[in-house]
Amino acid sequence: MGIINDDGYRKVIDRQYREMLAQCKTHMDEVERTLPEPIEDFQLLLKERGVSRRNFIKWTAVMTGALMLPPMFRPMVARAAENFSRLPVVWLHFAECTGCSESLLRTSYPNIDSILLDTISLEYHETLMAAAGDQAEQNLEKALHDFPGKFICVIEGALPTGLDGKYLTLGPKGKTGLELAKEVTSKAAAVVCIGSCSAFGNVQAARPNPTDAKSISEALNIKTVNIAGCPPNPINFVGTVLHYLMFGALPALDNLGRPVWAYGKRIHDYCERRPHYDAGEYVEEWGDEGAKKGWCLYKMGCKGPYTYANCGRIRFNDAISWPIMGGHGCMGCTESGFWDTMAPLEKPVSQAGIGVVGGEHTIDKIGIALTGLTVAGIAAHAGLSAFRHGKCDKGE
Amino acid sequence: MEKILPKQEWSVALRINHWVMATSIFILIATGLYIARPFTVAHGETVNKFFMGNVRFVHLLFGVILMFIFIQRVYLAFFSRFHADWKDFFAWTKLGNFWKQIKFYTLISKEPPAHTHLYGPLQSLAYAGLLFMLFLMVVTGLILTGAGYHGGLLRFVYSILRPVETLLGGLVMVRYFHHVLMWCFILFIVVHVYMAFWYDIILKEGTISSMVSGRVFRRSH
Ligand code: HEM
Ligand code: SF4
Repeated sequence: MGIINDDGYRKVIDRQYREMLAQCKTHMDEVERTLPEPIEDFQLLLKERGVSRRNFIKWTAVMTGALMLPPMFRPMVARAAENFSRLPVVWLHFAECTGCSESLLRTSYPNIDSILLDTISLEYHETLMAAAGDQAEQNLEKALHDFPGKFICVIEGALPTGLDGKYLTLGPKGKTGLELAKEVTSKAAAVVCIGSCSAFGNVQAARPNPTDAKSISEALNIKTVNIAGCPPNPINFVGTVLHYLMFGALPALDNLGRPVWAYGKRIHDYCERRPHYDAGEYVEEWGDEGAKKGWCLYKMGCKGPYTYANCGRIRFNDAISWPIMGGHGCMGCTESGFWDTMAPLEKPVSQAGIGVVGGEHTIDKIGIALTGLTVAGIAAHAGLSAFRHGKCDKGE
Repeated sequence: MEKILPKQEWSVALRINHWVMATSIFILIATGLYIARPFTVAHGETVNKFFMGNVRFVHLLFGVILMFIFIQRVYLAFFSRFHADWKDFFAWTKLGNFWKQIKFYTLISKEPPAHTHLYGPLQSLAYAGLLFMLFLMVVTGLILTGAGYHGGLLRFVYSILRPVETLLGGLVMVRYFHHVLMWCFILFIVVHVYMAFWYDIILKEGTISSMVSGRVFRRSH
């Protein structure tokens, strides 16, 4: 048995990885043959933006590791990055705040992820394209015509489905979001939902959900890759697209359609404050001694124990910081329906109000009240029993 | 003349099962309450403290014990060599007795209904409910446990139970549900302990001691 014999095990794994690498190479060759030339040379672009070769190599190492691939895939990651802009992308916006685009595109200095996203071959992006009105519409039609079944459809924003989708109409022809989404996704090679709105509906779909907003997969009944987060980390998007370029297939997804390489473990599992959690050291109120010492934020409502995401590992804003490092608990934005299920954001979930929004009653209060009532009932019953059955004894 | 005869009611396996279950549940409630509303351990250096870690360890340990105890209880209900009592969980289907039992409990009548099953009609409902609660507690507990492990058996179990997590609305709802169920257990315990004492006093059959010795004392004429 290979599993028991360590050497044999390693050989099996090694062979599997080599097969994967060969597949990856063939697929990259095909990509280079069939998809259009990159508009700009990536290496040249890096030089222009002042990113050294050395930094690029370092980045491939980080990205390969993040994708949970062994080092032998580094040249492939580099190659995929160079070919990143071959992949035609149609980027749709529905009911959302454009914060995901912002988070992906704004960085303090050009790092490699943001340069990659700058070069991405956007056939259509409502926020970024220069075209407007009818011209924009033509771009979209051209993309669907030129690359049927080849382009990736990236979607930001939920779909309001109430009133036949009329809560959201867009473009010169006044199409509803639902119509547009159906049309584009039916021709796409893959649908990548970026942000929790398109992935799960997010705040638009939170109770009471007046526009009956739904996630893309629910509204259209299709399978999507969900890069969850509010906003998600650019690396999770870039990595997923790189994976698609390298293997021609989407990475493994979890039960909510999130790539396992990025959303396979909880915030709580990676948190730098975790030793304080295990020790029993908690911030009791904002700005107290524990807060200054960087203790665990569990009692301040941290939802890290229920949230699958890699924020703590890769962080935000050029890996400078992330919410828990900044001193506030996680609010669980990569989970489905988090506005409803994770509330209240600054209290543990067991202290959630029951009933009307902002209800005063928590499950513990109700539990204590019910236990009290039961004990009172028992006392009364015991008294009455003594009276009724006690008398009977005398009579005997 | 009235005779009082001892009657073997509970097998050894069942008595052990009962007390291990009771102990586990008490420990699980105590540790669970700490997990839900921890207090800060103020003294000492972080490196020397592991309070929550230990509490969680005890909770998980007795959680897994409770899982096996639950499995054993279901096994005994069907395959006990002494008395497989699965049919007794349906005592409540005798509606006449059900009504009489309510009258007995509410002190309207002074006569208990006849012993047709091991459990009374309301008792059978309560115990079936307890088994169901145990099932839910073990399932939600296993999901919560598996989420923190990334390999091994518990992870394997978790990968099977993950659809349940999605169905309930994510880990956070599983956790909440687990917490609500704790209150169901507390309410059950309060009523259960009172009823045991009440029976002991009213019927004088030795209900309390029967879970230790296995015997109740039945009057026969
Ligand atoms: C009568 C039985 C049980 C009671 C009363 C109980 C009670 C609790 C309570 C009150 C919590 C805290 C919930 C919150 O934060 O609101 C908790 C958490 C937990 N319980 Fe239980 N529990 C029971 C059985 C189990 C079982 C059978 C298992 C596992 C096999 C289990 C595993 C867990 C885990 C893993 C957590 C979360 C701990 C953490 O994430 O740090 N429990 N339990
Ligand atoms: S701060 Fe949040 S994620 Fe970090 S250890 Fe505490 S509860 Fe877990």
